[in-house]
Amino acid sequence: MSLLADALEHLVRGIVDNPDDVRVTLVTTRRGRTLEVHVHPDDLGKVIGRGGRTATALRTVMAGIGGRGVRVDVVDTDR
Amino acid sequence: MSETLQAAETDVEDAVEDAADDTTEDTGARGRSGSSEDLLVQEGDIAGDYLERLLDLLDYDGDIDLDVEAGRAIVSIDGGEDLDKLVGQRGTVLESLQELTRLAVQQETGVRSRLMLDIAQWRAGRRAELADLGRASAEKALSSGERVRLHPMTPFERKVVHDAVATVDGVQSESEGEEPQRRVVIFARA
Repeated sequence: MSLLADALEHLVRGIVDNPDDVRVTLVTTRRGRTLEVHVHPDDLGKVIGRGGRTATALRTVMAGIGGRGVRVDVVDTDR
Repeated sequence: MSETLQAAETDVEDAVEDAADDTTEDTGARGRSGSSEDLLVQEGDIAGDYLERLLDLLDYDGDIDLDVEAGRAIVSIDGGEDLDKLVGQRGTVLESLQELTRLAVQQETGVRSRLMLDIAQWRAGRRAELADLGRASAEKALSSGERVRLHPMTPFERKVVHDAVATVDGVQSESEGEEPQRRVVIFARA
């Protein structure tokens, strides 16, 4: 499972201005497993994309490589 | 051949392609991105690194081949069966991975990329199938006189169908509906 997190982290790092600030963590709750994507606040727009397009692409690729049933959340945190 | 001559030819191909290319809907290809061969080679290198690292992390077997064709960088991955997961049903995963790869390229070059990604020769195979479907549907529209509506397709798929329909006299095609339900409709020319 950390394989999925590593793959997602790599995909996100390549498309942001601050790759060192990218962290992906796998969180398990009663509702299932979620890959939480943390990025620099300035990169939120890039990871989400116009109309959520980039976030959707990330989810589609993760579903393809075996993460079906795993949610991908881009976390909006105020730091 | 001189560099400027090559660049000029590329521009013409780009323009022709843009005019007919359904995919420009979502690449927003205002003007052109890759103007020089050098930039396209650089695009391929960046994309190759991005995808190779992904394959490594996933432990998928795959060879990455880089090319420049008709004014755009082409990245092809061929290898083991695992790659089918990166294509997905009707190529949906492939389209998403292409989108992310374009963004990764743009992140480094600062220029919007029109790079094309193919995996396990899916586009090549799909292109042949879709061209057959387009021609057969055109014949059907001609003989029945009725509009033939195909199932929803991606921009890439619709473009291939439109091109195939255009080779049959007396019919024309257009796209209708909103993504992701957008589909090709073929009908006899009035």
